[in-house]
Amino acid sequence: MITTLSWFVIALALSPILWLLIQPYIRGWSRAERRAAHLLRDMLTPEQCHQLLWHGYLEVPSPSAAGRVYRVPRARGGFVQVIENGKAVMRLCVQPVERLPDADVVVLHKLMIEANEEHYLQKANKYFCIE
Amino acid sequence: MGMLRVMSRRGDDRVTWDEQKFIARDPEAMAAVREAERIFAQEQAKGATAFRVSPGKPTERIERFDQTAEQIVLVPRVVGG
Repeated sequence: MITTLSWFVIALALSPILWLLIQPYIRGWSRAERRAAHLLRDMLTPEQCHQLLWHGYLEVPSPSAAGRVYRVPRARGGFVQVIENGKAVMRLCVQPVERLPDADVVVLHKLMIEANEEHYLQKANKYFCIE
Repeated sequence: MGMLRVMSRRGDDRVTWDEQKFIARDPEAMAAVREAERIFAQEQAKGATAFRVSPGKPTERIERFDQTAEQIVLVPRVVGG
C-alpha cells in the first residue's frame, strides 16, 4: 500500500516536469499541422477537400495520360495508387526527405503530379498490381 | 500580392511582397522580394522543387524565382520510399 502511494506521489511530482519537457514539441507540431491544413485548403477545390475528408484520398488526374488518375492517401505512409481506366495498375511510394505534416505531403504529391509527373514517376518506387 | 511558401516540418514558412510596391521601388517591398529570392535559391540548392500556383491555371514548375507570381510553393526533395 505504501509502495503504491509512494509511486503515485513520485509520478505526481514528476508530471509537471515531463509536461514542461514535451509541451514545446506537442505545441510546435500542432501549429505545423494547422499551417499545413491551411495550405491544403488553399490548394484544393471544395470538391477535392470533400473527397479527401470523406473518402480519405485525393484523386489527381494525370496531365499526360488520359484515363490515368493518382489516388493520394490522406494518411502518412500510404501508397499512392495509380488507376488507369478505373483499374488499379500500380502503387507508388514517394516521400519527402524532410519530415512534413500530413497535409503538406498531400499537397506535395498533388503539385508534383500536376507539374512534374515524369520526375515524380522516376523517383517513385513502383509496385505493379498483378491480377 | 506575391507569396513564397516553403514546406517544412514547421508547416509552411511564408514571405509575402507587394508587386506594385516593388515596381514602384518601395524599399520594404524590395527587401521582401530579395529575401524571397534568397530563400528560393537556398532551398533549390538543397534540392527543393518550385511550383507556380495560380487559381484557375495549371500548376507550373519553375526554375527561377518570379516576383510576378501570385504564389510559389517550394517542396523539399523527394525520394522513393
